Amino acid sequence: MLLSGIRKSFNIGSPAEVEILHGIDLTLEHGAFCALIGPSGSGKSTLLNIIGLLDRQSAGRLAIGGQDTSGLDDAALTRLRGRRIGFVFQAHNLIPAFTAAENVMMPMLLNRGWADAGMRLSAEALLDRVGMTRWRDARVANLSGGQAQRVSIARALVMNPVLVLADEPTGNLDTASADGVFDMMHAMNQEQGMTFLIVTHDPRLAKRCGRIIELVDGQVVRGAA
Amino acid sequence: MIRWLPFEGVAALRFMREGWIQTIFILVGVSLGVAVTVFESSVLTGVQANFLSRVLTSQAHIVLLPPDEVARPLHAGPGLVEDAALQRPNQRLRSIDQWQTIRETVTATPGVRIIASIASGAALAVRGDATAAISLIGAEPDAYFSIVRVPDYIVAGTLRLTSDDILIGTELAILLGVTVGDRLLVTARSDTPRALTITAIFDLGSKGANLRTTFVAFRTGQSLLNLVGGVTSLEIAVDDAFAAETIAQDLATRTGVRADSWIKTNAQFFTAVQAQNTSNVVISAAVALSVAFGVASVLVVSVVQRGREIGILRAMGARRGQVLRVFLIQGGALGILGAVLGSLMGAVLLLIWHDQVRQTDGTELFPFILDPVLIGGTIAFAAIVGVLAGMAPAMQAARLEPSVAIRG
Repeated sequence: MLLSGIRKSFNIGSPAEVEILHGIDLTLEHGAFCALIGPSGSGKSTLLNIIGLLDRQSAGRLAIGGQDTSGLDDAALTRLRGRRIGFVFQAHNLIPAFTAAENVMMPMLLNRGWADAGMRLSAEALLDRVGMTRWRDARVANLSGGQAQRVSIARALVMNPVLVLADEPTGNLDTASADGVFDMMHAMNQEQGMTFLIVTHDPRLAKRCGRIIELVDGQVVRGAA
Repeated sequence: MIRWLPFEGVAALRFMREGWIQTIFILVGVSLGVAVTVFESSVLTGVQANFLSRVLTSQAHIVLLPPDEVARPLHAGPGLVEDAALQRPNQRLRSIDQWQTIRETVTATPGVRIIASIASGAALAVRGDATAAISLIGAEPDAYFSIVRVPDYIVAGTLRLTSDDILIGTELAILLGVTVGDRLLVTARSDTPRALTITAIFDLGSKGANLRTTFVAFRTGQSLLNLVGGVTSLEIAVDDAFAAETIAQDLATRTGVRADSWIKTNAQFFTAVQAQNTSNVVISAAVALSVAFGVASVLVVSVVQRGREIGILRAMGARRGQVLRVFLIQGGALGILGAVLGSLMGAVLLLIWHDQVRQTDGTELFPFILDPVLIGGTIAFAAIVGVLAGMAPAMQAARLEPSVAIRG
């Protein structure tokens, strides 16, 4: 994944225009396990949204798996996002109307349009891998924070993406649960070779990542290459 | 997870199930609206059908009458009127000229079911010291009673109409103090009174009609009214009652006599029906609007509540069209479910109303008619209203930017 001269401004053209990212140059090699750190307001979430194709940069170039995303329309970005990028959010963000297994199936369901038996098997295999087999048919409202985050990780991995973006995935968890979730992501990275970019405020966890990228005031000050 | 439904259908149903309180409230609202529409339309259809049936079984579809007598100005020469003051002449009782030929013409006309010759006019019924002015209708029983269903209204005696018999109404029987088997003296234009035997008493449902109307045999009528060999009218029933006016106009043109259809003589009835139908449409439209706004408001709230979930779905690859359809399906499903429940409620209400509300004579006020076209149309219309109502909130949901929606 390659970011070149990425800038992001809000309120463009108005007196309140403000630039959050000031020309980010960044390369993430396939299979990397990276931490993105920085103080609050440094632009971490904004950068993550741009990398995750949830938001568009104001200037600069973003390529994922060699594909330049700058000229893609909304439908193409959605397709690319659904197939090649997985998300783990701080507040797990599972859909309460569906069970744990159905939440894991969701990216496949959105991609294909209809449910099938294969999807269910894939979801159950991943839930088994994250130790959530017992709760596969549980309503997500009945899961603890750690359990929900494990389901969320399974959901992020179900499409076998090239990139997993995690925005403070352990932020709402106690230390033991946080370690468990972090270990799980690390294990997935090691076993399946997918790239992880994890935003964290926890220096202890950041140190366990292969690479640390530090963002201060919208600029990468450490770990750009 | 249901496999025969696409993602949009599954998500719509799950969202409705999860927000079941909102779903139930709006379903009750939609159901009540639909129930009112179904109930009102069915009652109106039933009452109109009943009234129509009564109208069409108590009078002929077309009545042929002799043309009005008119006064003509006296001409002193070409273009010169000698006396321009014209007074309308009185309309004396007279026969239709050449009525046998006209009857043959009418009988051969397509769409005509039956024709009856009538000799009718004013008469006086006498019983002791009591007298009553009556309308004497001399008719061929077989033909006439298949047009005007007098046998259905007989409350005493049996339907027999030989040359010495008479059928009278309940009010006349009370006025003259007579009953079945008694004899009445009837006087009309011939100056020769006839003593007739009452064979049956009828109740036409109208006090005036029960007091005035009497039926005698056709030849008895001719004889009493001094119309031997003549008829005062030819009464016709046609296959399609609503084609009566067209056929009447055609007959008038071809025979030269006056032809009045029931549609023309009951113009007020049709005006009333039109007014009822218009008010029904207005009420239904108001109900549809309130249903639409109800569904729309629930979906708008749902979109606001589910903003974050919509963002998550978009992050996982949900296309804008998929999000749009999730909410459109909810709108349509609420409309259909509400319409089905409402139709059931309307049918039950109709059944209760039909059983409880009766006419003064104990007969039903209206026939129980549950038109499948009305039900099907209501459900389809409610589905369309639901989808249209869901349009604005669905577009609002589809327009949400995932990064903004996830932040909440």
